[in-house]
Amino acid sequence: MEGALGEIAKVAASLAAILFLAWVARQMKLGGDIRIRDEVHARQLADEVLCGYEPVDIALDKAGIGALLRDAQGRQMVLRRHGAHFAGRILDRSTESRLDQNFLTIGTSDRQFGKVTLNLGDKAQIWAAGLRRIAA
Amino acid sequence: MIVKLPNPVDYAVPFFVLLILVEMIWARRNAPEKYEPRDTLTSLGFGLGSTITGALTAGLVATLFYWAYPFRLFDIGWAWWAWIACFIIDDLAYYVFHRSAHRVRWFWASHVNHHSSQHYNLSTALRQSWTGFIAFGFIFRLPLVFLGFHPAMVFFSGAINLIYQFWIHTEAVKRFPAWFEYVMNTPSHHRVHHATNPRYLDSNYAGTFIIWDRLFGTFVAENDDEKIRYGIVKQLGTFNLLYSVFHEWIGIAKDVWSAPWRHKMGYIWRPPGWSHDGSRDTSDSIKARWRARQENPPTPAE
Repeated sequence: MEGALGEIAKVAASLAAILFLAWVARQMKLGGDIRIRDEVHARQLADEVLCGYEPVDIALDKAGIGALLRDAQGRQMVLRRHGAHFAGRILDRSTESRLDQNFLTIGTSDRQFGKVTLNLGDKAQIWAAGLRRIAA
Repeated sequence: MIVKLPNPVDYAVPFFVLLILVEMIWARRNAPEKYEPRDTLTSLGFGLGSTITGALTAGLVATLFYWAYPFRLFDIGWAWWAWIACFIIDDLAYYVFHRSAHRVRWFWASHVNHHSSQHYNLSTALRQSWTGFIAFGFIFRLPLVFLGFHPAMVFFSGAINLIYQFWIHTEAVKRFPAWFEYVMNTPSHHRVHHATNPRYLDSNYAGTFIIWDRLFGTFVAENDDEKIRYGIVKQLGTFNLLYSVFHEWIGIAKDVWSAPWRHKMGYIWRPPGWSHDGSRDTSDSIKARWRARQENPPTPAE
């Protein structure tokens, strides 16, 4: 019984320490505000998602929080911010998209990856059409 | 005979917390992006869950080890040199476990948890698996008991090894003197291990002594000219703790369910990323593609 109480006390202390450290990290404003700077940066991020991926067409979100890319084989990739880094997915037939003027919302087949809404300006319609072709 | 030794990790935890605080202060001054509050919370949640699941399954592992002990080859006992020998051989066992954990998907499903952060800091060290017991990771230490090391000594050595590996999860330390880098696992060597850059994939499996990697041909030195990217080749893109813990197990279940009968086992024992139709990337295929591009760089578009 004493041993079990000791274990519970250790877990409680660990939980308190975890919440304290997460609070400190937030208070210190760690993480920063990372954006896609330009097409060169987007290319580099795309290569990190899929080694050897060479986009021939790139649409950057106006605020730099994500991008859509297409390579010579017609594979389309979405990049989006994830914390202080970026993550991406190759889009497949399960891709959902919704166009609202300049804003294109994309949902991948990976539900945990979530949806991303990109402000692509006047390129949004063209990319929306491209995404519809994948789903067709 | 059951021997109860103190768990060194219990004593180390306050120092873990203190060192994470120190590293956060360093990050605030030098590179705030090295930490991300949600990532830190997820990593520490991993650590807490791992402690709980470890405590729940420790009795079963101990029972197995004490069952095996009477079948030992030698009576090694508790001499001072036995502690040193146990630690070194346990570190070799860790190397074998760790290499298997990257090359066999069943083991990887548990170990991937430790690699799933895109950050590399001291909180990443605490991103430990909840499912180590299911993955049978403890099997790799069992030969030490058959050899004649007392189970309590094996558990103690494993704990010291775990503590050693905490402080090497940092970008705040660049390099140590050459002799130290040659023998010991260091932040530089372990950064390489956590990297997803193709040149670094599947390297530096060491726990405490990097000599095992040098000996078995898996050592790769850190290249200062190439920025390291951390995480896994298909980044999770979520801070959801439960999904992060179980995602690879879910993947195995889905793949085994949908694969043709003769390929089902392949999704369990083959390397992570393997698929029966070759439609996915393994670390080998990524490295091969990267090497090909190094030898024949793509010509820039006109």
